[in-house]
Amino acid sequence: MKFQQRSTPDAVEVRLMGRLEFTDHDRLHDIVGLLEITRARGFVVDLSGLEFIDSAGLGMLLILQEEAESRNVKLTVRGAQGDVRRSIDLARIGEIITIDS
Amino acid sequence: MTMSLADCRVLIVDDNAFNRKSLALVIRRAGITEVAFAGDGAEGLRTVDDFRPDLVLLDVDMPVMDGLEMCRTLRRNATHEELPVLFQTALDSDEEQVRCFDAGGSDFISKPIKPGECVARVRHQLEKRKLFTDLASFRARVERELSHARAMQHSLLPEGRRLTAVAERYGLVLDAHFETSSELGGDFWGVYPLDDRRVGFLIVDFAGHGITAAINTFRLHTLIDRFPMQHMAPSQWLTQLNGALKDVLPTGQFATAFFGILDLATDTLTFAAAGAPNPVLGVGAELRLLDSAGLVLGASRRARYTDQSHRLPHGGFLFLYSDALIECGGEEHPPIGRDAVPGFVRDALAENRLHPLRPMMERFYARVRQPLSDDLTAVWIARRA
Repeated sequence: MKFQQRSTPDAVEVRLMGRLEFTDHDRLHDIVGLLEITRARGFVVDLSGLEFIDSAGLGMLLILQEEAESRNVKLTVRGAQGDVRRSIDLARIGEIITIDS
Repeated sequence: MTMSLADCRVLIVDDNAFNRKSLALVIRRAGITEVAFAGDGAEGLRTVDDFRPDLVLLDVDMPVMDGLEMCRTLRRNATHEELPVLFQTALDSDEEQVRCFDAGGSDFISKPIKPGECVARVRHQLEKRKLFTDLASFRARVERELSHARAMQHSLLPEGRRLTAVAERYGLVLDAHFETSSELGGDFWGVYPLDDRRVGFLIVDFAGHGITAAINTFRLHTLIDRFPMQHMAPSQWLTQLNGALKDVLPTGQFATAFFGILDLATDTLTFAAAGAPNPVLGVGAELRLLDSAGLVLGASRRARYTDQSHRLPHGGFLFLYSDALIECGGEEHPPIGRDAVPGFVRDALAENRLHPLRPMMERFYARVRQPLSDDLTAVWIARRA
């Protein structure tokens, strides 16, 4: 998985690309790192460039949600398509994280 | 990092008594006390077997057997393949150094001996050997423990004899396949006779794989015993399990699950699911994917599950599997994918009506890269016609 970041006055936006899976745990720390330094109240995870997510990847989204919550940052996941969307829906991650379609 | 070399053993092989003495003096000053001597290559080889050195300081030109021959002989023996051998050579002789390396030498010390350089090179080789041996014994220990843990993990699953007994009792055909992607895995499944007409089936997949996920399957096994299944709906049971898992699982770890109860008296399958891959239900000629969406277990205390009921009469079947079946692919084949599962089952049924799991696994393994990138569990549950 690779990611790009950009900041707007209200939110930090991270766009994930490729596959988000078991082997990407180290990259998660980089993203949590962005959460730690941001002053913005919003944090957007854009999945439109993601082709695949496995259960470990879904776990990473849950970790991001908790990290955001503990810092009073509002996390939004958006842009999930195809198999990624399907995996998120199957696991009902939307009951825990705000998912914008 | 400076290691103590006090317990290291060094063999000095040199035909010149003065050289033997001065080398010994130098390395004793480095803290090495166990030193043995040999006067030629042949005596050197015998001493290696008796003395079991950690390092050999070896002269090249010697009577009976020279140093090059002794080193080549050592290297042919698997036991001494890694034994550090330091040749003493004149530093300016490029050709001789090449011959020493070709014979299997690890390094050189220059002649005449310079104490500082000699100690530094000896120490370097001995430390490397120590680290290597430590790592090798650590690895051996971990492998031993993993293999025990693997046996323990397999003991959590229904064994063949039990499956046969349950299948007999309820008039079923039960086949299962379980494979972890490494020594240990995060998959689990079980079959639970509830009474004379009802039997429960559970399949659980913890996120990730390897040791962490495997520890979670042991946790799960303990929890299952704590919650009797007899007197509650599958959704209630999953809700309880979810609460208990939420207590023990760190954020980011969770499980997908399917829990179904088959009632033979009413020909009904009632189940609740927490994001498990969509099971296949077959009744008559119709094969369909069941809706198994549900918040994964252990992610939120607020999770609620719902029950669904479907007819599962004689001749019908239920096929449960973990996501590796649809997500693992190979060089030439993409992963099977969710939508192709009913067709995959249908093809296997055409090949083996009674035990389609066998052709399914053959076809699966023919297309995937091994070892698998995730754990695979597949369970075939059919009611006899």
